[in-house]
Amino acid sequence: MPISSAKLNTNLLLPQALAASLEALINKVLALESANTSFEQLANKTLTLVLAELGFGLSFTVLERVTADKQTLMVTSLTEHADCTITTSLSTLRELKAEQQLTDLIKQDRLAVSGDIKVAQQFAHIAQHLAIDWQSELAHHIGDIPTHKLVQLAKNISAKVGFAATQIQADASEYIVHEQRLVITKSQIELFNHQVSEVNQQVTDLDVRVNRLFQSFKRPVN
Amino acid sequence: MISELKMSASDQNQAPESLHTPADNTTHFGYKTIDKDDKVSMVAGVFHSVAKQYDIMNDLMSFGIHRLWKRFTIDASGVRPGNKVLDLAGGTGDLTAKFSQLVGRQGSVVLADINSSMLNVGRDKLRDQGLVQNIDYVQANAQYLPFEDNTFDIVTIAFGLRNVTDKDMALRSIYRVLKPGGRLLVLEFSKPEHELVNKAYDFYSFNILPKIGELVAKDGESYQYLAESIRMHPDQETLKAMLDNAGFEQTTYKNLTGGVVALHKGYKF
Repeated sequence: MPISSAKLNTNLLLPQALAASLEALINKVLALESANTSFEQLANKTLTLVLAELGFGLSFTVLERVTADKQTLMVTSLTEHADCTITTSLSTLRELKAEQQLTDLIKQDRLAVSGDIKVAQQFAHIAQHLAIDWQSELAHHIGDIPTHKLVQLAKNISAKVGFAATQIQADASEYIVHEQRLVITKSQIELFNHQVSEVNQQVTDLDVRVNRLFQSFKRPVN
Repeated sequence: MISELKMSASDQNQAPESLHTPADNTTHFGYKTIDKDDKVSMVAGVFHSVAKQYDIMNDLMSFGIHRLWKRFTIDASGVRPGNKVLDLAGGTGDLTAKFSQLVGRQGSVVLADINSSMLNVGRDKLRDQGLVQNIDYVQANAQYLPFEDNTFDIVTIAFGLRNVTDKDMALRSIYRVLKPGGRLLVLEFSKPEHELVNKAYDFYSFNILPKIGELVAKDGESYQYLAESIRMHPDQETLKAMLDNAGFEQTTYKNLTGGVVALHKGYKF
């Protein structure tokens, strides 16, 4: 008998494990925030996020005051009480980069908001304006020169990985389109579409001419 | 007075049948049958001994999973800003810390424990975290809660009920202090759902756990008591029936980590 996802979630405590990990991660990141973002307006406010892929909700509550262990935010899977609830999918959430996109996504029915939308906007604003100097933070732990070297190395690796990805994509495209002929190119599709349109136009013209011819036959001879 | 049942080495992991139904004036202390009057002081002795190492031992013994069990309890509580919460047998205040932040300034949390050492450790820990504004500390016996009727929206008792001398009396006392509409959440060790898990859990509890206790808390006996008291605690269905008998309604339970722990929930209407 298949185990239901709810029972699996309960037994493995997935919502709680995810909430605990996110809470630790977010508070760690917020503690590094150099612009000292103010959460005063959001004190005691809760934003609940229900993602289609997860099957459960996660609530983000801003604490009234930062605790001694630098906790600003609490993450739970308590979903009964929220100032604002967003129901969406993970892929849509990734697109939520610009503030105006929130409204666009609601219009497209890809995101549903209930409650005070200002709370969602304030959370989104904070997330988008985090100013964390990662290099400086890393330098505190391993020193300036190793940090510089590490960042250079990361940039080089990133550039090489990007180049390799482009190359692989081009090679794969070449193999699939030209060597194996499994897929046709965009220009071939456009040419085909153009030809179909031309045939369509010709058929329409022919239809008009045939109709005219019929009409001329039906006309009584004087 | 302690009357210890003699057991062979192979029987040590089995809860003795004769101890399941103690006479009216006796109760269990692990696998031992003792006078009811002695249990409070004996349990107190255990917790005075382990209080300072309690948190680190919890992390070691449960591999940190106790934090997730407690999070599950909070998620199931439906707590909201402004609620009054009683964290009974709250010990070192793990639940109180979370509740305090969730109920906010308008709400309040009472951390209650019968054991002064545990309460002191909890109070120091929470104050060090800066959690002071809405928490009260009360040394109280769960059987005789010193609160007015209909006081709390939520009462939780996490890993505490099995140490209470008269569990039925404690449940009735909790029922009395809950507001109508309020709920009780009992997080407690229980009976694993699968026999294989049960055997592995038995081996761990009786062979490894006391040794960790000996190494870290320098007190293997207290952790032997812990293992025994878990086996003597009522299983899921029995505890649910006890909640029903105390007057709770819509009682349910959820097994966590295969039934190693169960969360019982009941409402007062």
